Amino acid sequence: MRAILRPVSLVIDRLYKHFGPTVALDGLTFEVPSGQVFGFLGANGAGKTTTMRIVLGVLHADRGVITWDGVDSRSLPRSTWGYLPEERGLYPRMVVVDQLVYFASLYGVPPDTARREARHWLARFRIPELGDRRAEELSKGNQQKIQLIASILHDPIVLLMDEPFTGLDPVNVALLREAFLELRDQGKTLIFSTHQMETVEAMCESITIVDRGRAVIGGPLRELRRAVGRQMVKLAVEGDHRLAWIGEIPGARILRPGIDRTEIELDPGVEPDVVLAAAIARGARVTHFEVAEASLEQIFIDHVGRPADEESHLAADTEPVATATKEPAA
Amino acid sequence: MTSRPGPAGRHEPVFPNVRTIARREYVELVGGRLFKISTLILVSLVLFVAMLPIAVRLFQREQVTQIAVVASDQALADRTIGVVRELLGQSGDRKFEFIPMLDRDGAIADVSDRRLDAALIATRKPGGGLGFEFQLGETMGQTEIQQLSLAVFGVAVLDYTVQNPGAGFQLPDVKVDRATGGSGGGGAPFDPARFASRMIVGAVFGFLIFLSIVIYGMWVAQGVVAEKMSRVMELLISAASARQLVLGKMIGIGLAGATQTVLVLVPALAALAIEDVLAKLILGQSVGIASSLTALSPGLLLAFAVYYLLGFMLYALVYAAAGSLLSRAEDLQIIALPLSIIAIVGYGQGILALTGGITGFIRFASYVPFWSPFVMITRLAVGRVDPWEIAVSVLLLMATIVVVGVVAIRIYAAGVLLYGQRPGLRAYVAAARRG
Repeated sequence: MRAILRPVSLVIDRLYKHFGPTVALDGLTFEVPSGQVFGFLGANGAGKTTTMRIVLGVLHADRGVITWDGVDSRSLPRSTWGYLPEERGLYPRMVVVDQLVYFASLYGVPPDTARREARHWLARFRIPELGDRRAEELSKGNQQKIQLIASILHDPIVLLMDEPFTGLDPVNVALLREAFLELRDQGKTLIFSTHQMETVEAMCESITIVDRGRAVIGGPLRELRRAVGRQMVKLAVEGDHRLAWIGEIPGARILRPGIDRTEIELDPGVEPDVVLAAAIARGARVTHFEVAEASLEQIFIDHVGRPADEESHLAADTEPVATATKEPAA
Repeated sequence: MTSRPGPAGRHEPVFPNVRTIARREYVELVGGRLFKISTLILVSLVLFVAMLPIAVRLFQREQVTQIAVVASDQALADRTIGVVRELLGQSGDRKFEFIPMLDRDGAIADVSDRRLDAALIATRKPGGGLGFEFQLGETMGQTEIQQLSLAVFGVAVLDYTVQNPGAGFQLPDVKVDRATGGSGGGGAPFDPARFASRMIVGAVFGFLIFLSIVIYGMWVAQGVVAEKMSRVMELLISAASARQLVLGKMIGIGLAGATQTVLVLVPALAALAIEDVLAKLILGQSVGIASSLTALSPGLLLAFAVYYLLGFMLYALVYAAAGSLLSRAEDLQIIALPLSIIAIVGYGQGILALTGGITGFIRFASYVPFWSPFVMITRLAVGRVDPWEIAVSVLLLMATIVVVGVVAIRIYAAGVLLYGQRPGLRAYVAAARRG
């Protein structure tokens, strides 16, 4: 699979990586347009973290090339990239602002500038008072914000984020989304992996789904949905949230049941009106009826064969960090 | 368009980041409680060692120093014992016992075997004059030699007045010989104070290098493991190269270690410098202690600095690589033991060089890179070392640092990304190949 997007900026071209006998990346190929929020999707162990580490130069590929605007990624300065790893951590006893300045200094940012920017971002994330505290005194969610600030303080062109929303409450998820869109508006390219399909649908213009080290589908999200050729209906009926009768409609099936509303998937050629007509015919009082394109989750299941939060067959041994115990930063 | 990438081709000057990383390591360590407590303990320990000679003298007050007296005739023996007892007995510092013996060789053997502290051999020359030979054990210092020299002059005067030989008064011949102990250094006249000083300086330098390598080396490994455990390594490894991280950590912790060494050495040297004054205050005005710093030359200080630096670099690289594959602080013990044993074997050779003379194996050990920092510094302190030997040991050490550095950075680059590994030789080899 090789969707061509224009303007092309980040090109992952036939990337191979083995860890001993285990294949982590098996000719992975995809392209990321610059200035977009890009979803990098796959089950655990599919090769996402390995790919990000190769982009950063932390790991070396067995074969394949990564370019940014035609330049080999290995020749680009480290400051091109910002990285928010899935396994997040800070120096527990170091004062927050000091460690933000420290990380920015490693990318060549002068300490004064780094300190000023750190204060700006702390205020932006509504935690200005935490700058002078030690990291070990912060909640996990606040530590996560600090880590994100550490990854963007040097003003990278491309921001790679591994599961950035994991462990955050809805308020902080919203804050992070806002910040991402702000960064995108500044011309940054944001690539992130996540299992939260709703977040991808809300934020990403393009995606790639990777499975067993290969890209199985990718491109602009809207085109991918259209290409599926199926529609979806979101339906709510007063006094009947089970909607058992849907099974009687040829080509219609319940995708995701819900108390509030139920998502119904329609085969190609089946019109949404059929569902509405069937509901009215049964004398039901329809409180919500919405026609939507195929969900990203459905696209994912179609191509990977299982939901995103299930482990890949390769999961346990594919990536070195796959064996990591996930501990809090402090 | 496919190719097998080699090492990252990105141009990354080492030093800006190494300086940044080193500064953070240094500030965190020196500002930490562990540093302050360990510095206090080390200062106390070294001051105790520095004050040991005075403590020994205090202890010696309760000991009896046994000196054999061998003379060519009974009258001379009685006269010698009488005068020497009178003179040495007045010193008040030590108690002496004089044992008349007939067998010269037997007396010398007893001194060598430490059954006696010294032997005084008096002979009457054909012309009527007297000759004296001092065979000294390790407990006899410069003060005792001076007292013995004065005493035998008194014996000669007394003997002249009794014998009244026609040839007139003749100054006695005095020969001083150290029955036990190593080289006095290049055939120069033996100076026991200087020899003792060499021993002390050699022991202190060897001990400091050993301690620094073991303690600060472990700090390097602990630092790497802590960064992995807190997962901050994930941020670090994308912000700086493995080479920058290893070198920065090594330099930062090395400088913190050097700071502690200076903080420990300065009071110790100050105490040694005023040792004589302190001895007089504690033991009385009649007692003098030759300064332990007699043997401390600028050359030896420079050699200490070089071997300290190179030795620490070599071991720090090994500790950094060893720590990179660990995921838990508890696993540090697994690597601490084998690495400590390597250092202990080298340190043991250094101690043997101080006390047992320079054997062929010790000479060999002083060229072996993992041992030379301990052994060569003690050899330099107590014996004579040819310049080519120093050059060979330093060059071998530097070459080993380069080779170990390359391998260590490869292991570190791969190791810090691995979690849940069982640290074993196979894992390190695999990491070196992968890195």
